[in-house]
Amino acid sequence: MKLANLFSIRVIILILFILIALIAIHPSTNNEGVSIRSVDTNSSAAFAGISVALNAQPTSYERILEINGNKINSLSDYSSAIESDEEKLFITTNRGSYTLLNENIGLVVDKPASNNILKGLELQGGTRALIQPSEKLNEQQFQDLIDTMQNRLDVYGIKQLIIKRASDIGGNKYIIVEIAGATKSEVQELIGKQGKFEAKIGSEVVFEGGNKDVTFVCRNDGTCSGIRSCNEAQGGYQCQFEFQIKLSEEAAQKQADATKLLDTNVTESGYSYLEKPLDLYLDNNLVDSLNIASDLKGKAARDIVISGPGIGPNQEEALKDANANMKKLQTILITGALPTSLVIVKMDSISPTLGSTFEKNALTAALLAILAIALVIFIRYRKLSISLPMVFTSISEAFITLGLLTLMKYNLDLAAIAGIIAAVGTGVDDQVVITDEILSKESVNWKERYKKAFFIILTAYLTAVASMIPLLMAGVGLLKGFALATIIGVTVGVFVTRPAYANIIKVLLNE
Amino acid sequence: MKLEAFLERVYENNYKKLILVSLGLLVISLIILGINYFSTGAVIERDISLKGGISVTIEKEGLNEQEISSYLAQKFGNVNVRTLTELSTRKDMGLIIEASNVGEDELKAALKEKINFDESQYSSESYSSSFSESFYKQLVMVLLFAFILMAIVVAVTFRTFIPSLAVILAALIDILATLAIISLLHIQISAGGITAFLLVIGYSIDTDVLLTTKLIKRKIGTMYERFAQSVKTGLTMTITSIAAVFVGYLFSAASILKEIFLIIFIALIIDIITTYIGNGSILIWYIKNKKI
Repeated sequence: MKLANLFSIRVIILILFILIALIAIHPSTNNEGVSIRSVDTNSSAAFAGISVALNAQPTSYERILEINGNKINSLSDYSSAIESDEEKLFITTNRGSYTLLNENIGLVVDKPASNNILKGLELQGGTRALIQPSEKLNEQQFQDLIDTMQNRLDVYGIKQLIIKRASDIGGNKYIIVEIAGATKSEVQELIGKQGKFEAKIGSEVVFEGGNKDVTFVCRNDGTCSGIRSCNEAQGGYQCQFEFQIKLSEEAAQKQADATKLLDTNVTESGYSYLEKPLDLYLDNNLVDSLNIASDLKGKAARDIVISGPGIGPNQEEALKDANANMKKLQTILITGALPTSLVIVKMDSISPTLGSTFEKNALTAALLAILAIALVIFIRYRKLSISLPMVFTSISEAFITLGLLTLMKYNLDLAAIAGIIAAVGTGVDDQVVITDEILSKESVNWKERYKKAFFIILTAYLTAVASMIPLLMAGVGLLKGFALATIIGVTVGVFVTRPAYANIIKVLLNE
Repeated sequence: MKLEAFLERVYENNYKKLILVSLGLLVISLIILGINYFSTGAVIERDISLKGGISVTIEKEGLNEQEISSYLAQKFGNVNVRTLTELSTRKDMGLIIEASNVGEDELKAALKEKINFDESQYSSESYSSSFSESFYKQLVMVLLFAFILMAIVVAVTFRTFIPSLAVILAALIDILATLAIISLLHIQISAGGITAFLLVIGYSIDTDVLLTTKLIKRKIGTMYERFAQSVKTGLTMTITSIAAVFVGYLFSAASILKEIFLIIFIALIIDIITTYIGNGSILIWYIKNKKI
């Protein structure tokens, strides 16, 4: 046996594919510190010059190694470092050092990635909503809907999200929103509702949410927004939030017109108000009613103070609720209403611990399955020269598939893992066919034996691929990962790994 | 005794009777599925991903499945509670609770009363019933499409009526018998489970195509020698797959993976019967009639 024979063109192609997968997955042992996943605009980190490239691979994120001279080895090291009373933070990363003020830092950090495989929601935890518009939208409206949603989540401060379109075989359009760090109720509140804000005097709408009517919303500034009072009420607590907004000239004029004809009422304590209040509605529910001071009658006032309540069983909870309601209302006032109301047809939230359990477990299960295959193969052929190449082929098939999925920036989910396992399973079947054809004494010519084996393999291959294609689209692509991984896996198998396998065992079995 | 001699002794005088074994399996499966249909209105139980509802996972050790199950049943009626286990460490990791007639907030509140868990231990999935219904219909369409496509590929490959029909029949029996067994085990099928049947089609025809090619298209050796060869190759294929999915079933924690592996495991065992007893006998009958 000549070793050179082993490196035929087929084997070289296999090695090439393994290299491509290796580069795509990029296993990395450089994982000290914590990696920077995103930087808020206008935060002190951004001012200090820290940035994250838009399409950065997980292993190429900048890593924080030291803060104020303390080594950062974990997320808890990081959080204790930034909670210190130091006025300034001296941060050393693997690329440089930065000095920033210890307030409004604006960094989102994570454990450093050990490879570039993108983990789907099921493996990393988070919330995913499948949303259907309640009316049929045209292309422009659909795009507006997505833009407003994106804007709303952005304004609210949610990073690391994916918004994508999806449709099913029936032609229904959906939007899939995946958010790594958000809770289910936040997602439900922010995008599950239309967020139609209306300020009415009587039955007349004077202004709405969105930048046409509202030109400025005060946020994160204690002088013009915050919680103003907390009181005991109805067996619990109620807190009142307030924040200032600025109206556009047209909206202010509309308000002036609406108040022009109103009468003035004087309360017992001597304040005089207009007879009708300014009613604030969110998705047609009354949030609050504001009395209008009588001296504003007929005036185009542009500065308006919006208020609303938050409730809870104790003061702390009420405060939290009021803060959350305020943040939500501010977001909606800035971004405006979504073009239509929405229905959340499917919603998953997976805790990060369950995600990582699934990840580890799926990997172990796959390795054990390959071991089981190796055992059966060894029992049948009793030759390492057959079973070792077979195990090698199977593992490289799974690895190349994983690499190609990573290259396509596909977020690996459980369905995709099942698809990879399925592809490896059919791969082994085909290798058995090849081996038996080569071992058989049926035809003298090696090429002919090989051809015969590939006739059977190709039939099975075509069926497998064709049956997976509709699954790519069915059910909003929820099982796309499965179909995609299977198609890639069997294709790699038929055209890359199995020809190489046939070559290797031909040489090893001494032709 | 050599394998071909054994096969010859078993099949030579009995192949017609052996065809009946496979057909009997088809009839029994149809009866079971028929009874399901007439008693419950559906051939198989669907889980919440295909009929709508909510699934909650609480990842906490030491929860009592029985106790929680009877507590929830009392409160909400039909609620399905399972333990999430990791077999490699034999550790119970928590509970999976599925219900289709109760809202998430209600269910969560009821669970909070009984179990002390925090948000990081809580995962959930909810499906609206109209979405799930259309999801289910689409997946059934995909499965039908795949089956028809497989039938076309097989027919084009062999271009002979009886052998093609035998391959397609074997795949059909694999699917129906597996469905029948799944329903007898009272397993609720999920979206992932239906895709497992797509794989069943693939695994099923692998061995049938091999057998048919060897018996009909090849001419070297006696019929039983060729039969023996394809039994050896085909059984190796099937047993490696069975070993892989069995191990996968034992060791995976995620229920979608467990379900896929279990369905393929059952189908592969059925496939040994339909391929070698059913399809094999039909082919022997066909060859003897045609005197090939």
